Amino acid sequence: MGSYLDYQSARPVDPRVVVAMLPYFSEKFGNASSLHLVGDEATRDLEDARKTVAGFINAEPEEIIFTSGATESNNLALIGYAMRNRERGNHIIISEVEHISIHNIVKFLEKNGFIVSKVPVDQYGRVSVKKIADRIIGKTMLISVGYASNEIGTVQPVAEIGRLCRERNIAFHTDAVAAEGLLPLDVKRDSIDMLTLSSNDMYGPRGVGALFVRKGVKINPLIIGGGQENGLRSGTENVAGTIGMKAAVELMQQEMYDEVTRMKGFRDTLIERIPKLIPGTHLNGHPTERLPNNAHFRFDGIEGESLLLSLKDKDISISTGSACSSKTLEPSHTLISCGLLHEEAHGSLQVTVGRFTTQNDIDSLISALPQVVERLRTLSPLYNRKEGDRS
Amino acid sequence: MKSTQYSEKVLDHFRNPRNTGTLEGENVAVGRVGNPTCGDLMEIYIDVKDDTINDIKFKTFGCGSAIATASMVTELAKGKTLDEAEKITRGDVAHELDGLPPVKMHCSNLAADALKDAIRNYREKGKQPSAANDEAASGTEPIEGEKEFAGKGVYYHFSDPVQFIDKRVMVLWEQPKPLEQVLELTKYTPRVILVTQLKDIPVSEELKNKLTGANIKILSQAKLLKISGFNEVEKVLMQNLAEDEQYELFVDAVLIL
Repeated sequence: MGSYLDYQSARPVDPRVVVAMLPYFSEKFGNASSLHLVGDEATRDLEDARKTVAGFINAEPEEIIFTSGATESNNLALIGYAMRNRERGNHIIISEVEHISIHNIVKFLEKNGFIVSKVPVDQYGRVSVKKIADRIIGKTMLISVGYASNEIGTVQPVAEIGRLCRERNIAFHTDAVAAEGLLPLDVKRDSIDMLTLSSNDMYGPRGVGALFVRKGVKINPLIIGGGQENGLRSGTENVAGTIGMKAAVELMQQEMYDEVTRMKGFRDTLIERIPKLIPGTHLNGHPTERLPNNAHFRFDGIEGESLLLSLKDKDISISTGSACSSKTLEPSHTLISCGLLHEEAHGSLQVTVGRFTTQNDIDSLISALPQVVERLRTLSPLYNRKEGDRS
Repeated sequence: MKSTQYSEKVLDHFRNPRNTGTLEGENVAVGRVGNPTCGDLMEIYIDVKDDTINDIKFKTFGCGSAIATASMVTELAKGKTLDEAEKITRGDVAHELDGLPPVKMHCSNLAADALKDAIRNYREKGKQPSAANDEAASGTEPIEGEKEFAGKGVYYHFSDPVQFIDKRVMVLWEQPKPLEQVLELTKYTPRVILVTQLKDIPVSEELKNKLTGANIKILSQAKLLKISGFNEVEKVLMQNLAEDEQYELFVDAVLIL
């Protein structure tokens, strides 16, 4: 498979998770809603999983709703809360650097009578708590700020935002998918009312996620049916998937510390060496407040998609913030929000490492990158001009 | 189709581009299209002898298909008369490359346009250069939001540099204001964007090297239309004068010189 350095896009399911899930497809097939013994067993396993996931973020089991993934959790949190609590106001605050799902969900809410403010970030992608506070009005009912940027890795001041929301009696939601398994999550410490989790981002199966909703916070369901998940998410429970998420969380609880230390080593090697090997390299995102698995660069004078294609030829799988590799041809909104010019956003390279990354993968990138950048720069009309007359 | 799903022929031209580089000389003309703002900038150099393209080279900032189309157009045009070469279309280039992903047909298929621009420039050689470029810079229309944010991120002087510390500063520059104080600004913040409506900043190479050396970003053919924010400057709406497009940038301060 070559060197896979795009853990932000997708993670493999840990083989140990697969082993834990297997019995739940045929042998333990029970429906958790059934009253007989087979059903009881499924209920017990489901509730075990709920306990494990709750423990991982310092929540109570009854505060966890299992969903089909992070996108559904974000929908349930924002739409479910907004629709249920209209009497608390119609104003919602998010940051400019939210995941695309949050941006599109608030667009939907805007069409349904809500007013949305987007708080800008600084050049490192960090939102200012003061700027959030300035935007709060009497009708502000909900604030949603992602725990960290899945793209540039900048970690937000979540605890401070949580405190602000608690003081002003405003609900606080955070999409923690980018941070789960990388930073210790604690909904009590950070005064969080709703928190989105995904299973795949902890090496569990896709199609499973969870939403934490603090006791006392009321939301409406989006999926109506047989009343599963306390009436908040109908549909026969995905026991196998949920067991997979539980197994993934348990592995994370045991291995997270060592894993994070290893990833930080890789990240810091990249951040230290690449700018030294390639002049005209800049680090995107925050120099210190960043996820342990993320290094994000931009290179003067070249464009990201051609960089990505060249690295593909060297068997390296990696991402870019360039428009030219996206469906819409718009450059990364996060990078533009940091104040980058479009041409700078186009020249970005996003490296994300994970559980199965090896020193070999890192070495391959470090050895391939300088000549790839150099080749594209000799083709570029921007770089030579910038460096004076070198052509 | 994914945007990077390219034909083998596109990949071949991307991996081994033909006719890269620049040309110089009396019979050389350059065609330049695109804008780095949009992610693509292409330059085609032609050397003409007896009305025929004797040599041709290109430089491209852009995605894989931008590089491949430029390479292909140089192959198609080499040896052709100007009249023949002028007839090469975007469609011809895409066809010769065994097709391009649909999403790429417009944005990165600028090569034929750059060739046409080079031919036009060759034919106009010797004629007086047009003054169109300078006209664009004249006439100062009011900027929306400028008054509202005066003192709240919009400044006219550099007298109190402390207010720029670690800020993203956009500097609006017009001839003949001195540029030295823009250099001074970089002592206080690493992020300075110099905006001009001109195609290029008409200063000495030495000063220009100093500007880029200080990591000042130069945004040319750009015009500030609107300043917005919440109590203070947060973003600006820009007009790309080359392509008549608008785009937003996030800044903390605007210094109008």
